[in-house]
Amino acid sequence: MALIEIKNFKKSFQGHDVHKDINLSIFSGECLGIIGGSGVGKSVLLKSLIGLIKPDDGQVLFKNQDITKLNEDELVEVRKKIAYVFQNGALFDSLSVYENLAYPLKEHTMMTEQDIYQKIYKTLDEFGVLNAINKYPAELSGGMQKRVGLARSIIMDPEVILYDEPTAGLDPYNTKIIQETIIKLKNKNVTSIFVTHDMPSAFAVCDRIAFLNQGVVAAVSDVKEITNNNDNEISAFAKGLRP
Amino acid sequence: MNYFTMTYPFLIFLGGSTKLLYLSIKEFFKGKVEKDLVIEQVYQVGIKSLPVVLVTTGFIGMVMALQFGIGLAKFGGKLYIPKIISLSIVRELGPVFASIMISARVGSGMTSEIGSMRVTEQIDAIRALGASPIAKIVLPRVLGCFIALPVLTAFANTIGILGGLLVGSNDLGLDPNYYFQKVLSTINVADYMSGFMKCFFFSFLVSVPACYFGLNVKGGTKGVGIATTKTVVTSCIAILIGDYFLTKLFWVIEKWL
Ligand SMILES: Nc1ncnc2c1ncn2[C@@H]1O[C@H](COP(=O)(O)OP(=O)(O)O)[C@@H](O)[C@H]1O
Ligand SMILES: [Mg+2]
Repeated sequence: MALIEIKNFKKSFQGHDVHKDINLSIFSGECLGIIGGSGVGKSVLLKSLIGLIKPDDGQVLFKNQDITKLNEDELVEVRKKIAYVFQNGALFDSLSVYENLAYPLKEHTMMTEQDIYQKIYKTLDEFGVLNAINKYPAELSGGMQKRVGLARSIIMDPEVILYDEPTAGLDPYNTKIIQETIIKLKNKNVTSIFVTHDMPSAFAVCDRIAFLNQGVVAAVSDVKEITNNNDNEISAFAKGLRP
Repeated sequence: MNYFTMTYPFLIFLGGSTKLLYLSIKEFFKGKVEKDLVIEQVYQVGIKSLPVVLVTTGFIGMVMALQFGIGLAKFGGKLYIPKIISLSIVRELGPVFASIMISARVGSGMTSEIGSMRVTEQIDAIRALGASPIAKIVLPRVLGCFIALPVLTAFANTIGILGGLLVGSNDLGLDPNYYFQKVLSTINVADYMSGFMKCFFFSFLVSVPACYFGLNVKGGTKGVGIATTKTVVTSCIAILIGDYFLTKLFWVIEKWL
């Protein structure tokens, strides 16, 4: 049974139909890649999965509960279980890295300051950004911001992680770290949805890949199938043979 | 351009900001007040704006003394200067100018800060982390203005009257003691309150549009600049229009008392 199910999802902005009819299932423990050209609506779709954007029509079922019907208070429970990794980190720039990571912990747990410190120390160390603990986001490189953003998203131990282009604009070293993190989390049975343009990363971390085009899911298939059989839409997109 | 397309954005703003105020009040009564964030805003709005407010209202008192000094001297009315100045400042100019200065200095800053957060997805990040932008962003600013603006107005009133006194005694040859006595005997509680109470209303006219336009920034960094301008223009107009109706209301109440 699917953990997340998107059914007949429609969304338009100012008369421009971004999503016409999206149907997609995400299974527990898998990593699903979502690819497609710029502006095809990958971020809009991803944001709808935690209710940041409401679709015009259709359902988003998480554990059989339609989250499009929930109000902002009810969505808090969903958002504790599904983490969102923003494209550029979306760190709070008035807060230090430490305070950024403490933010969800202080919001949702009764942890003592000492426990919070230990958890943050451990998490930052894991991501190789411990030296940034007292810095402000503006003092960090783009790659470090993304890593800290990822650290903040996973600090509440979510069941599902939504990645919005986590490797875009990164150097090969940072890309590799992000890829390894995603694989490590996947091995802990975390479900991942990985929105990207970066086809090598998608092939490296995903189990399945869905291709969005013109408001619908144009193709979904296993990564193995795509790499074995070169004659399909997703391979063509990956090779730059189609928009 | 017909009347509908001209008033439509205004109606959207009216609905949106009313809803924002409603949500903030709801959050307030749910006890979601974050003390540290409120204190930070009181500091930003109150302490940091004090110099600006003092300089503007001080000079307003001084200029008024000069103008009335010249005007009234012709009719031998110089002795009425303390009365006129203190009444106009306490009833009108202190609260209104303090609020307008706060909108220019603080409201604009709030919009650009919140707008930048919107553009860089920080507002979405607050929601994604299961927190409420109303509780974290809007409510502290609304409360910060609500607490700080009256205090600033009290300072503005005092400095405005002192500015008048300074010019009255230096340039117009009025005895400072006489001036001071006259101010005290002129202003009663009703005068003071009819001006002072307004700034509680004005505080919402500063903070709510500032948060509304910030949260609704569209089109990247360019949108932030546009929103900032909208905030200051909207707040200042709202303060002056609101001032008319509040004055009228207090006038009715004073007569009735
Ligand atoms: N809040 C919004 N208001 C208006 N249009 C939007 C909004 N968010 C996204 N769009 C539009 O929806 C389309 C898809 O955007 P997005 O999901 O960000 O694309 P991408 O696939 O590159 O992530 C774009 O054409 C964008 O202009
Ligand atoms: Mg995107």
